Amino acid sequence: MNGVIKRYRVMAFAAGIMSLLLWFVELPVVYLLNNPDLEAKVKWIPFVHGYVYAFYVLAAIHFTARARFTIKRMILFILAGTLPVASFIAERRVMREFPLT
Amino acid sequence: MSVVSKMKINSDTALKKVGLALVVLGLCGAFIRLGFWQLDRAADLKELQKPYIEQPLIPLTDVATPSTNLSDSAINRIVTFSGRYVAQFDAPGQKDKSGAVGTWLVGLLEVNGGGAILVVRSDQKSELPKGEVDVEGRLLVRQFEDRADKSGDQLSRLDPSLLVGTYDLPVFDGYVVARSEIVDSKVLTLPRVKVDTARPSVPGYYWQHISYVVIWWLMALVVLFLPLYGRRRKSEAKNEEERI
Repeated sequence: MNGVIKRYRVMAFAAGIMSLLLWFVELPVVYLLNNPDLEAKVKWIPFVHGYVYAFYVLAAIHFTARARFTIKRMILFILAGTLPVASFIAERRVMREFPLT
Repeated sequence: MSVVSKMKINSDTALKKVGLALVVLGLCGAFIRLGFWQLDRAADLKELQKPYIEQPLIPLTDVATPSTNLSDSAINRIVTFSGRYVAQFDAPGQKDKSGAVGTWLVGLLEVNGGGAILVVRSDQKSELPKGEVDVEGRLLVRQFEDRADKSGDQLSRLDPSLLVGTYDLPVFDGYVVARSEIVDSKVLTLPRVKVDTARPSVPGYYWQHISYVVIWWLMALVVLFLPLYGRRRKSEAKNEEERI
């Protein structure tokens, strides 16, 4: 179980950081600033976020299935990767419920 | 428990199962369709990024109609049309192919057959021609960001929607950068503006859309997996109960 939790934690951090970058860096640059040079510099963010989220979903399903969570909780864990801080909150809860041995 | 109530419970369970199956299939279908939609956008984006291949001349009304959004296939076409100019404006802050920023001279031409269209005539001052004018030029997508303030004879951007309400004419979407104007069989000698062909109108990047394809199809798989997970969880709980 420790390996599954560690994988989930890593992906929760990665998905959280990518969501923060997407919501607070890429989107404001593209939709609020009119600066093509800056846009070119942040264009990697949305698609890296896309792939990181896909791996986050797999890690979340693996962890919640092993932890025998309910379907409702599994769905909430999957959705936690889409909001900037939700995956960090989910990761903290996991650490409280399943402290690493 | 009576036979009737047992049958009722069985039919309720069957109905629930059918309902769940329909919801799962519906969601799965929706996610698969969303994946295909993103795949199409990725393909469109790739297609639009290829260098534009010039198409034969075509009458404006064959590729566009007033009060309708320009289709992707109409953008960048060299079109011909005739009509009369009804107004002329300055459009400051416009950038040509060489990157030079200047004020363009833009006419509003009432097209024979109905509707009006914005025509970029030149980057120098000129009188508005009187009478029937034959125009040939490149049809481009309207601008979305202001380059200057809007006033009576000045356009903040090349966007026909700015004129809706001022002129009682249905307007064509986009604008035409004229490469020739003929009045009374005489070609008007004006310095013409040279522009690049329009850039892709699909927002985002190719690999970004592909990542969304991966996510939508992954979600379709998740939706198929969840009922199986629920069933496994139930049977495990039942086994646990029986063991105790």
